[in-house]
Amino acid sequence: MSTPTLDIQNLTLGFKGYTGFTEVLHGISLSVNPGERVALVGESGSGKSVTARIVLGLLQELRTARIGGSVRFEGRELDQLSRRERHALRGKAMSMIFQDPTSSLNPVFRIGDQFHDVLRRADPAISRDAALERAAAILAEVSVRDAERVLNAFPFQLSGGLNQRVMIAMALANEPALLIADEPGTALDVTVQAQTLHLMRKLVEEHHTAVLFISHNLGVVREFADRVYVIYKGRIVEQGATRAVFEDARHPYTRALMAAVPRLTGGGIPDIEENSPDFGAPLEIHDAEARA
Amino acid sequence: MKRTLAILLANPLSLLGVVLVSVVILSAVFADFIAPFPEHRGAVVDFANFNKPPEWPYIFGTDLVGRDMFSRILYAYRISLILGIVVLAIAVPVGVTIGLVAGYLGGWTEYLLMRLTDVFLSVPPLVLAMSIMGVLQPTLANGMLAVTAMWWPWYTRLVYNITRGEKEEGYVLAAEVIGASKAHIIFREILPNCVPAIITKMTLDMGFVILIASSLSFLGLGVQPPTPDLGSMVADGAKYLPDSWWLTIFPGLAILVAVFGFNLIGDALRDILGAEQ
Amino acid sequence: MIPLARLLAKRLATSLIVLIGVSMLIFAIARIIPGDPARIALGPNATAEQIADLRAELHLDDHIVVQYGHFIADVARGDLGISLYTNRPVTADIALYLPATLELVLVAGVMMVGIGLPLGIWSARWRGRAADNIIRLISLLGVSAPSFVWAVILMLLFAFYLPLFPIAGRISDTYAISSVTGFLLVDTLLQGDIRAFGNAAWHIVLPAFALALSGIGQAARLTRANMVETYDKPYIEMARSYGFPARRIANHYAFRPSLIPSLTIIGLDFAAMLGNAFLVEAIFAWPGLSRYGVAVILRKDLNAIVGTVLIISATFLLVNIIVDLLIALLNPRIRYSQRPA
Repeated sequence: MSTPTLDIQNLTLGFKGYTGFTEVLHGISLSVNPGERVALVGESGSGKSVTARIVLGLLQELRTARIGGSVRFEGRELDQLSRRERHALRGKAMSMIFQDPTSSLNPVFRIGDQFHDVLRRADPAISRDAALERAAAILAEVSVRDAERVLNAFPFQLSGGLNQRVMIAMALANEPALLIADEPGTALDVTVQAQTLHLMRKLVEEHHTAVLFISHNLGVVREFADRVYVIYKGRIVEQGATRAVFEDARHPYTRALMAAVPRLTGGGIPDIEENSPDFGAPLEIHDAEARA
Repeated sequence: MKRTLAILLANPLSLLGVVLVSVVILSAVFADFIAPFPEHRGAVVDFANFNKPPEWPYIFGTDLVGRDMFSRILYAYRISLILGIVVLAIAVPVGVTIGLVAGYLGGWTEYLLMRLTDVFLSVPPLVLAMSIMGVLQPTLANGMLAVTAMWWPWYTRLVYNITRGEKEEGYVLAAEVIGASKAHIIFREILPNCVPAIITKMTLDMGFVILIASSLSFLGLGVQPPTPDLGSMVADGAKYLPDSWWLTIFPGLAILVAVFGFNLIGDALRDILGAEQ
Repeated sequence: MIPLARLLAKRLATSLIVLIGVSMLIFAIARIIPGDPARIALGPNATAEQIADLRAELHLDDHIVVQYGHFIADVARGDLGISLYTNRPVTADIALYLPATLELVLVAGVMMVGIGLPLGIWSARWRGRAADNIIRLISLLGVSAPSFVWAVILMLLFAFYLPLFPIAGRISDTYAISSVTGFLLVDTLLQGDIRAFGNAAWHIVLPAFALALSGIGQAARLTRANMVETYDKPYIEMARSYGFPARRIANHYAFRPSLIPSLTIIGLDFAAMLGNAFLVEAIFAWPGLSRYGVAVILRKDLNAIVGTVLIISATFLLVNIIVDLLIALLNPRIRYSQRPA
């Protein structure tokens, strides 16, 4: 079996605060193989977003964060890389798409200038004109027709859906091996969200990009992911091929999540009990082979 | 309140502020007991000891007629603090009331009051106070009047901005629906929400009032001799730089210590109370 | 650029209204003077005739509204009356002294922005670290003393004990500079005299820095506060997750959006220097409006007081308009929307 693009083993995370030490992740393990689309599903506060930020190396800069376990990217242990090497991965080998595209783009710079900065990560010497040309080509891939207008615009002048496409184009511009998508498009309305997800899926398939897809929306996950991890309060409670998990949810928490799906409107999960003794049940693994 | 105090004392910077302000207040209140030469607050002449550099018993030196600088600075703090308290005691209620009324009533009242505020804010603060002092006699009371006249608009603007936001809040609409009077809504519903911002600003302003008042007297437009005043002490001493440096440096640092102390506390309060500017 | 023009027109109109208000305010202040202004102005030795003449000239026997009407009509013609102190037109006096003050204020303003903003950026970028704490402490010290105290301290340190800078004045007597603009830094260059320019620049450093210190502190504090808030925005996290260099994030991605809310107050502080310049000029014997202003106030020279305050306020308003336009230029939301936000 080839080296996984991302391999997380027994990852823990805690914060040192005024009130003492709070552990947020209690040893989670997951992996994403090259070209694979893996979803990490859970409620807000379950620890899925911090996991993404650890992979990107953003949380490591926080002085209050204590991180344990191992995160390997293409076989290299992130912890053993120098700051410089870790920084070099960001925006080149891995990139990220955020929840709200419009507020994730800087309000006072034109899209084109922000694109220029993104492309500079791979080619520091790239000129503005060359960057704009390249950006227009990538925007065409996400079905943006009038790229010139978009590149010349400020984010507030574009619709949320258009900004989302810009974000996808930026994320894939430097051909990363891993794309982390943190609740992409949750801030958009449902039809636009569906369209952009479709585009994203098409693109990652073409580019053979591995994706770690973070979401609380099971409907979306089912459409998009090959494999699913369900996370609850800092622990993985169920994992397996998307189909297997959806057809035969075994863990009580997963079942509770599923039961809530029809009522989902993108805002949250309304009908799950705050805390049930059942949710503490041990990890359910559907496809033992996937856990190398 | 207790919690606020605990946080103030826990942070080294705000603790320093509390210490500095306490020192200033205590020296003003107990000047009669601390000052080695209490009579030097007035028109005393001691030519045997004039213009002495710092040496015992004159730890800050003596001025050109032989008065102890240290004693005079203690009494000057008293004047500064009284001035600051009186100015804020008048400017804050006036400014706050105008801001509340303009913000809540809206319409022509709002337009007229806010343009009036703009007029006062369009003259550089010091220049406005100077011109008022220019036509009045330079006395402590007139100095207070001049500084008050330039100070209230800042509170009007602060409270006006908060009021305009609060006006649309549910609790105000609810009070309107049950038929509460305008006065009730303004003073009982909206005002309490402005209090943290007002208190923070008052703490910072206590320092700045002292600063502006000393600037006025520095220009000869404030408290007149022989009353000890930090600003006029600097002005008098400046002619004798650099030889008689203690004549300017000690009163100058005295202003810095007082204003810095109030600023340290005000800064910490802003963080704690979360009040915006 | 249409929205900008509309904004400018609107701001000019409100400023004119405010300026008329200021003229009423100043006029009212000048007329509430206890006693007979003419008698006070002319001093105890004036004859009854002199006093009557002056009363007639100032229209003091008319109703206050009529007096204001005369006054505003004169102002509209650019006539601020005759100074009783110098016996020259107030406008001529102001034209003589204002450039020195403006030059001082402008240089201080450049220092305020050029030093204060970078300090604020560093402070925000290294928030919580030692550098941040040091900068915050220095900025707070800067705003905690009036500019005349800084002037005294700087003069003592860098003109007397460490004689790096001159003690007083605008330029050494050896240079003869013909006044064209009244700004020595400009006039020396117009004359092509580089050494005189250097000498004038050397003279302005200390007074301008003393004047700028509290503004530097204020600008640094404001920039830091707004940038720390900006650092929590999603677009900064996005920039970090793409690995943009920390310096670029600080100087561009975090700084630019935070500059817009800071600018209004920085503009006000800059304009307040017009008043504070009086304090610094007194210490450094800077031949600006200060000595004239204090002299006319002490002599109850009504025309000169009213004229000086009016000119300073107009300059103050002008600065605010310029700042508003700058904000509009920096904020694409205002620049590209039909109504100013």
